[in-house]
Amino acid sequence: MSTELRRARNRQMVIFLLVCTGMVVLSSRLYYWQITNGPRLAAAANAEHIQNQTVSAPRGLIYDANGALLATNVVRDDVYIEPSQLVTDYPDAYQSERDTLVQKLHSVLTDTSLGTLKNALNSASPTVRIATSITPEQSQKLQNLHLPYTFLEPRTWRTYPGGDLASQILGYVQEQDGASNVVPQGIYGIEKKYNTLLAGKSGSFTAETDLNGNPLTVGSSSEQGVVNSANITLTIDSTIQYEMQQALTQRVKEMNAESGSAIVLNVKTGAIVAMAGAPSFDPNNYGVYAANNGCRNQLQVYSNPVLYCAYEPGSTMKVVTMAAALDLHLIKPTDTIDDTGTLSFADGTPAVSNWEGKGYGIETMTQVLQHSANVGAAWVATQKLGAQRFYPYLANFGFGQATGVLEPESAGLYRSNTDPGWSPSDLARQSFGQSILVTPLQMAVAYQAIANGGTMMQPYLVSSINSNGHATTTQPRVKRQIIHAATSKTLTQMLVSVAQSEHISVPGYHVAIKTGTSTIQGLPDTNTDASVAGYLPASNPQFVILVELDHPTASIYGGSAAGPLWANIAQQLMWHYSIPPDDPASLRP
Amino acid sequence: MDDQMKQIGDNQPGQKSPLRPMLAVRRGRQLRPFFFHMGPVALSITSVLLIGLMAVLYLGQVGQAAVANQQLQDIRSQQATLQRENQDLSQTIAIERSPAYITKQAIRAGLVPVNLRNVRTIQVPGLQPVQNPEK
Repeated sequence: MSTELRRARNRQMVIFLLVCTGMVVLSSRLYYWQITNGPRLAAAANAEHIQNQTVSAPRGLIYDANGALLATNVVRDDVYIEPSQLVTDYPDAYQSERDTLVQKLHSVLTDTSLGTLKNALNSASPTVRIATSITPEQSQKLQNLHLPYTFLEPRTWRTYPGGDLASQILGYVQEQDGASNVVPQGIYGIEKKYNTLLAGKSGSFTAETDLNGNPLTVGSSSEQGVVNSANITLTIDSTIQYEMQQALTQRVKEMNAESGSAIVLNVKTGAIVAMAGAPSFDPNNYGVYAANNGCRNQLQVYSNPVLYCAYEPGSTMKVVTMAAALDLHLIKPTDTIDDTGTLSFADGTPAVSNWEGKGYGIETMTQVLQHSANVGAAWVATQKLGAQRFYPYLANFGFGQATGVLEPESAGLYRSNTDPGWSPSDLARQSFGQSILVTPLQMAVAYQAIANGGTMMQPYLVSSINSNGHATTTQPRVKRQIIHAATSKTLTQMLVSVAQSEHISVPGYHVAIKTGTSTIQGLPDTNTDASVAGYLPASNPQFVILVELDHPTASIYGGSAAGPLWANIAQQLMWHYSIPPDDPASLRP
Repeated sequence: MDDQMKQIGDNQPGQKSPLRPMLAVRRGRQLRPFFFHMGPVALSITSVLLIGLMAVLYLGQVGQAAVANQQLQDIRSQQATLQRENQDLSQTIAIERSPAYITKQAIRAGLVPVNLRNVRTIQVPGLQPVQNPEK
C-alpha cells in the first residue's frame, strides 16, 4: 500500500470517527431534550398555547315569596399591575414611567393612596393586586385609559340588594380555598343549608389559543359541562320582614333591651312569613360585624335568634298547660281556684308564688290566664294534670325538638319525669314557663297549632327550588293533631279575654294573645325576658306572631315592653294582606 | 396489443429484438391515463398547480375558520358584557324594589311613616265580619 493511500485511509478514518463522535453527541443531546426533558418541555409548550379554563356555575339566586331578589351575583373587576415587567422594559427610565403610571391609576382609583400605588409598583412580584371590586364606572375609565402593565380581572361577587333585610335568614357567602381554585361557600342560613344546590358544579374548557390567549375553534378542544345551580324561593314576604325588622330594632332601642326576636307564621300552612332578630348585620359587609354579638350579647350576630336563642318563656307557656288540661276535660274555663298568691306542696316541693306574691282570691281558669297567675298554672299542672299527662303534651307541642328549618338551631331543653334528676318542682315551674328553655320558633309553632284547630303544621322557609327548569314546591304538611278543635276554640276565647285585659288590641280585629315575663335564675327580678305570643283574627286565625325582648330595662313586662310591638306587626299584617275585620264594632269612633 | 406482443416474442434469436419501443409503448400508455396526452413537464406543472389550488383552498378554509373564531370571540365577549350589564341592572332593580329603598325615597319625597295611633279606619257599609267556618 502506497503512503498516499495509507494517508488517505487514515484521513477517512479520522473523518469517520469525527462524524461518529458528532452523531453520538447529537444523539445524546437529542435524548436529553426529547426523553429526559421531553414531558416537561411538552407541558410548557402546551401551557403556552393550550388554555384550560374553569367555567364556574353562577351561584343560584334567592327570591322572596313575591319574586323580589334577596340574593344575587354581580361581576366586578379587580385591578392588577405588573411591576417587574415595567422594570424589564424601562431599566433606565423606570422612575418616570412608574410615576406617570401611578398618577394615572390614582386619577381613577382615588381610594388607593399614591404611596400604596408606588409601593405596589416597587414590588419585585410579577403581579400585584392594587384594588378589589372596583365600580363599573372605574372599570370603564381604566379600560379607556389603556394603561400599560395594568389589567382587570373580573370576579363574581355575591350581593344582597336589601342590605340587612332577612340577613339572619340568608346568611352570607365566603370565598374559601378549594382543590384547584377559590370556591364560594355559604356560611349560616339558607346560603349554608342549601350550599350544594346554590353552588352548582363548575365545568372546564380546554382549547388551543391564539397569541392573545383567546381560545381557537380551529384545533382540538374539549369541554366539561357546567351543572347549573338552583334558584330558591322563600316563604318570606320582604315587606312584612322589613316592617318587622324596623319595628323590632326600634323597640329594642326604646326599651333599652339587649336584643330581641320576632316571627310571623302562617297559621294554615306553617310557612314562615317573617323572622327577624335585633341586632342584625349586613351580609354585604359581614366582616365588619365579626366582633358583634346578638342574642343577649352572647351568641354571634350571624346566627338567627328565632332558631338559636333559647329562653325561658315564662307565662306564654301557661297556654300550653291550659291546653293540655282543657283537652283532657280536666278543667273548664269557668272552674275556679282560691289563689292566695302562693301554692305550697305537702311533699316538700318548693312553694310557687305569683309575681310579687300577689293573691287574686277566687279566680276562674280564664282569669288565671288574665292575671298570669303562676299559682293557677302550677295548680293545674300538679293537681289536675300530673307529670304522666303533662309531659306527653309538652313533647307533642314540639318542645325539646329542633324543627329543622335552618342551622344552627337549638332544640331547647327541659327535664321530664323520665329524666334523671327530675323533681316535682320541675313540673310545677315548667307549667308557667320556668325550668324550660324553648326557642321563639318552637313557641310560635305551639301557638300555630292552637290557632289552627289543634293541627300542628311543619314550619318551613323554602317555598320552591327551581333546578334547571324543574321546580320543586314545598307543600304544607300536617305534623300532628295535638288538641281537639273544640279545645282550640275554647282556648282562643280565653286568650281573647287575656288580650282585652292586657289592652293589646288591633282595631277591627279580635286578637288572642298571652304575655310572658320571665325572670332568669341567678339574676335580679328586673332582668326579664319580655314576650307576647298570639294570633289574629281570633275568629279565623291567619297569622301567629311572637315577639320577645331580652332584658328590657325601660319596662320589664311582656305586655308593656313587647305588647306594642306585637300590635304594630299585627296591624301591618292585616293591612298588607287586606284581611277583613272580624270586629268591625271596634272601628266605630 | 396481444398480437404485437406475440410478434415481438416470436422474433428469431438471430434477429435484434427492438425492446425500446415496447417500453415506450408502455410509458406512453402510463402517461395517458385518460383521453388527453400529457408530457412529464406538463404533468409536473399540473401537479404543482393542483397542489397550489388545494393549498389555497385549505388556507381559505383556515382563514374563514379564523375569522369565524374571531367573530365567535367577539360574540362571547359581547355576551359576557351583556350578562354583566344584565346582572347589574337586576341588582339595581332589586335595590330599588327593596322596602328600605322605597322607604328612603318616600321620606325624601316628604312622606312620613304612619303612626298607628293616628290611623282612622273608615267602615264600609255592608261589610260582613269573617265567619269562623266551624260555626
